[in-house]
Amino acid sequence: MKYVPLVWAALRRKPIRAAVTFLSVTVAFTLFGLMIGLNATMNRMEERAHADRIWTLSRFDLPGMPVTVARRIAQLPGVKRLSIMSYVNGYVGDPKNRAGIIFLDDVYGTIFPDQGPSAAQWEMLRRDRTALVMSRKQADSFHKKVGDTFTLVAPQTARADGTNLWTFHIADIYEDVPQFPGGMIAGAYDAYDKAVPLADQGKMNEVDILATDPAQAPALAERIDRLFANSPTPTQSQTEKMIYSSDNGDLDVKALTRKIAVIGLVMILFLIANVIAQSVRERQAEFATLKTMGFSDRLMVLLVVLEAALPCLAGALCGVALAAGLAQQIPLLLPRGYGIPTPTMAPSVFLWALGSAGLLALISAALPILRLTRMDIATALSRHAA
Amino acid sequence: MIRQIVIVALLNFRNLRRRFWPSLVIVAGMACVIGVMLSMLSVTDGLRQAYLNIDDPLNAIVVARGSAFEGASSIPRAQARLVLNAPGIARGADGAPIADATVMSGVQTRRVGTGGRAYITLRTFGPKGTALRPKFRMLQGRMFRPGSHELIAGYRAQGKFQDTGLGGHIIMPDGEWRIVGIFRIDDLSDGQVIGDTETVMQTMRRTAYNRVLVRLTSPAAFTAFRRALTTNPALSLDVYRWSEWNRKISDDTNTFFHVLIYGVSVILAIGALFGCFNTMYAAIERRAREIATLRAMGFSAFAVAVSVMLEAAALTVTGALLGALVAWALYDGVPSGMGSDLFTLRVSPAMVGLAVLWAIAVAVLGGLLPSVRAARRTVSEALRAT
Repeated sequence: MKYVPLVWAALRRKPIRAAVTFLSVTVAFTLFGLMIGLNATMNRMEERAHADRIWTLSRFDLPGMPVTVARRIAQLPGVKRLSIMSYVNGYVGDPKNRAGIIFLDDVYGTIFPDQGPSAAQWEMLRRDRTALVMSRKQADSFHKKVGDTFTLVAPQTARADGTNLWTFHIADIYEDVPQFPGGMIAGAYDAYDKAVPLADQGKMNEVDILATDPAQAPALAERIDRLFANSPTPTQSQTEKMIYSSDNGDLDVKALTRKIAVIGLVMILFLIANVIAQSVRERQAEFATLKTMGFSDRLMVLLVVLEAALPCLAGALCGVALAAGLAQQIPLLLPRGYGIPTPTMAPSVFLWALGSAGLLALISAALPILRLTRMDIATALSRHAA
Repeated sequence: MIRQIVIVALLNFRNLRRRFWPSLVIVAGMACVIGVMLSMLSVTDGLRQAYLNIDDPLNAIVVARGSAFEGASSIPRAQARLVLNAPGIARGADGAPIADATVMSGVQTRRVGTGGRAYITLRTFGPKGTALRPKFRMLQGRMFRPGSHELIAGYRAQGKFQDTGLGGHIIMPDGEWRIVGIFRIDDLSDGQVIGDTETVMQTMRRTAYNRVLVRLTSPAAFTAFRRALTTNPALSLDVYRWSEWNRKISDDTNTFFHVLIYGVSVILAIGALFGCFNTMYAAIERRAREIATLRAMGFSAFAVAVSVMLEAAALTVTGALLGALVAWALYDGVPSGMGSDLFTLRVSPAMVGLAVLWAIAVAVLGGLLPSVRAARRTVSEALRAT
């Protein structure tokens, strides 16, 4: 500890250089924090996905499944509860402002208590069929507050009244959950079902099933699909675990974010290594003096490593903290209708950052240290004299 | 003045070799920024190019009013019939208008390799489908027969989707449809399957089309064609030139990705900027005496400042070109896909130009303060400095 002033003095010798080094490390770790934070969020989404929930959709792009499909699924053994929903997609005001409402029945909230709305908010939908509850992201993007009217233009979903305008009032706004990066607008299934023309009533887009035994859920999903394979509406069922698993998509986002984070660090590695090498080279004589005074090699190694580690660790902490702030701004930058999971600065992100920062410091200090330990005191001192 | 700048700059470059390692910080930093940026842009640029390839100045597309994408558009049969009779549409040898009302849908297949679920885009041709696409040619097999369960597949599809080669099967709601031919159009269709419009509509229980594609008598006929459709109160349609529509669609997705890509790149570039600042700062410190001598010999402060900037720019541009080279070598021409779109990644000359611009921006911002400092130092002070 008593050597800290020595390290501090070394850093203060060239304040601009030290400041810039610190800043560049901060920048690299801001990127690192955003990338690894995104990773952490995606991991959390995977972990949070329930193994006992099954999502059943139409296998083909057909106009709605009859609700009888849900009734038949309900009779299967191993089904505890199920819920049905319909989606209406369209836009608000201008076709550019894409939006959609998910119309849910009264059971949904009990199967998905973790999707954002509280029990009280689900109750609002049950009591008032003209009500919507909206996630904060959606409400912000359409500049809506509680009590406002929300009208969705849905060119493809005609209403019995001949229009395609879906007007509701906003009963409440809830905080977003990471599972729905773009946010969600929820309404009551009954409101939807009674509004569409008679021929379209009694149809739905999705059945969500709560299985009694999570271990049996994948088998149950297969069984559902087999049951409807040769029906007019073949289904496609997946457990929530499968849906949120990262190897489901085209692009391995997690691998990509890790790569970008590492490239950021490599870039900064060059810089730190160079700064440390330069600083040690300039102070050869000083180190020689220390050595003459009886400082052991090990102690000098410690001094150099500390000199590298101090800005690295401080930068890593500041960078990740900055990333935490920036992460909140991401939704504002993205075009409406698109969302990415908000990076979360979980403790693991800080640990990874600190670990990587330490590693950066060690690698960048390695060469100068090698040179120091091989240093010939006499030459180093005489160079000072000259 | 110019002569002075050239002389000082040449002097700088000549002793750059002695500052090899520090200079490498700038080059490597910039290479990282550009490497990452262009690698990611190769995806969006490839996708954009694939969309722009779907172009024919004679073709126009009609979608339902306010549709942001084709899937959101539905044109009832009655409206489609009116479109076919609009003025400006070319007529075939049989006297019928060269126009094609079609549907599209995603059909589930399995991914080559992992075997995971994937969706291939199913499009349809009516009798005039090929007449609208002069580049269409069959590579293998034959055309589908209307009324039978047959499809033709783009030549690229089998690279990503299982069972989409000649003789393969795609599962449709009413059973397996056989792939009887392989085609090529040199646009996004090459990764899709095509079936007969009426047969597919029957199977998919569609009552409306997604779009109508028409071939105009001349590119100039577009205005009259559009006016006829948009002023007809019986119709609620939007009319675009085909290229205009495809650009709109690709811009829509690309805006989202560009926000992310440029976001990451800007953060990396700030890191590189600090690196540039640090290196140039160290360089002028070390060459303080040399610079002072030059100044004493009568070289202007401006020439010194500009030469420092030039050195920074030379290093960043070298790095940028290196990064671009790596991105080009790794990704240019590599077949790739996003969702159900299959296309070729692209690192275009325009992107390399962009990289150079970024490099110059980093050099100017990062080299500005050091160059000003180099220029403003008084000669006597600098000469005394060790």
